[in-house]
Amino acid sequence: MDIHRHPELLDRLASAYALGTLRGGARRRFEALAREQAPVRAAALVWQSRVASLNEVQQPAQPSPAVWQRIDNLVRAEREQQLMAQARARPAPASSGWWRSLPLWRGTTAAGALATVLAVVTAVGLRDDLSAQIGALQAQLSTQPQIEYVAVLNDDQASASMLVTFDPKNRKLTLQRVGGYQEAADKSLQLWALPPGAAPRSLGVLNQEKLLQLAADEQAVGGVPALAISLEPLGGVPSERGPTGPVLFKGALIQKLL
Amino acid sequence: MTWRDAWTCLRRSPCGDVPHNARMHDDPDPLLMALIDRVATRDETALKALYDHTSGKLFGLALRVTSRREWAEDALQEAFLQVWKNAADYRASLSPPMAWLGLIVRSRALDQLRRHRAEREHLTDEIDDALADTLEGGAANPMDTSLASQQAWALHQCLGKLESKQREVVSLAYLRDLSHSELAAQLRLPLGTVKSWIRRGLDQLRSCMAHFA
Repeated sequence: MDIHRHPELLDRLASAYALGTLRGGARRRFEALAREQAPVRAAALVWQSRVASLNEVQQPAQPSPAVWQRIDNLVRAEREQQLMAQARARPAPASSGWWRSLPLWRGTTAAGALATVLAVVTAVGLRDDLSAQIGALQAQLSTQPQIEYVAVLNDDQASASMLVTFDPKNRKLTLQRVGGYQEAADKSLQLWALPPGAAPRSLGVLNQEKLLQLAADEQAVGGVPALAISLEPLGGVPSERGPTGPVLFKGALIQKLL
Repeated sequence: MTWRDAWTCLRRSPCGDVPHNARMHDDPDPLLMALIDRVATRDETALKALYDHTSGKLFGLALRVTSRREWAEDALQEAFLQVWKNAADYRASLSPPMAWLGLIVRSRALDQLRRHRAEREHLTDEIDDALADTLEGGAANPMDTSLASQQAWALHQCLGKLESKQREVVSLAYLRDLSHSELAAQLRLPLGTVKSWIRRGLDQLRSCMAHFA
């Protein structure tokens, strides 16, 4: 049937289709007609758009502030993840330094004896070059992470589940999952500092990756004796509310002296 | 004269007396579209601004679909993460901003409903008491046109002409994606009643919306 020659019927079917009350065989037949006949398709699209306006006329209501907090946490975790992926993809700047060049050193070793002699002879003249090299090495060193705090977080069976390191100079917490734990898709793990005599403070929400970095100040991490990870709704909970789910992993935070 | 003034003329006369519609000067769409464009460039402050402008309206929608705050909040969260990922697709949708956002929120809210229904199979035919009471009392569920697009404003006018129970049943059929029999079960109404309310409601909507075509 050329349904578009019956505008009244077409309109009725299209509106019921868009509302969702046209079901079963009638719906499938209408969909088949719409694929074949552009006017039918057009009527369906017009009604879908009209009916969808129902979405726009509902009474507003205020969501809890925790919703934005959770969205913000997840967006931040994603950004940290991207930054880390970029950092990994970028070759270390130091590797391009001439002192790392293997062929150069091989050649130089062959001429070792001569070099030693020359070095002694011209030591005074080289001193300026040497201090420039030391400066470059120091600059290189300062870009390397300096791990000063380490924690191994265990589950209640005392098996290691998460390795946490903190680099105060670059203000980076790095978390590596070492156990096989995988939270459900609608849950997030959240890392907490457990300061003595005070409420837990959120250090951030983990995404599902094996390796994750979070930004953290030394104030937030230094001096905290222990860290813990709780299971929270996707996106975590606001810090001031404290953990709401079970604590899955915890462990002492140790300042490295080596 | 805009089409909306023209519509107002159909209902009031003389047209010269029609006060200028304040919404026309206060159109939120350019602001919302600019924010969505900025979100597409990974601008987190734009995401926050978009949330501040629209979350009340969108949460109201999610709440209407799921009828539970907790599920509605999860739906709102998932919707905004989807907006964060897919804002670059907005322009291609050719939709007013609230229409686009509304579709995303309704989809995520329906996901929540399906997920929780699957977990609680025995409650599939859960009766919505608050809703059933609304229908019994004949009280109109209030509508709200803040941020609404022009097309939504037109639908709002037409819905306003329906009897409140017809409007309610038509709205719920769409918002919760319910069949005639599911609606009858949730609202404790005979199937025939639901069918005739929807049919009459849609008939009236069609003739009313024809004025805006």
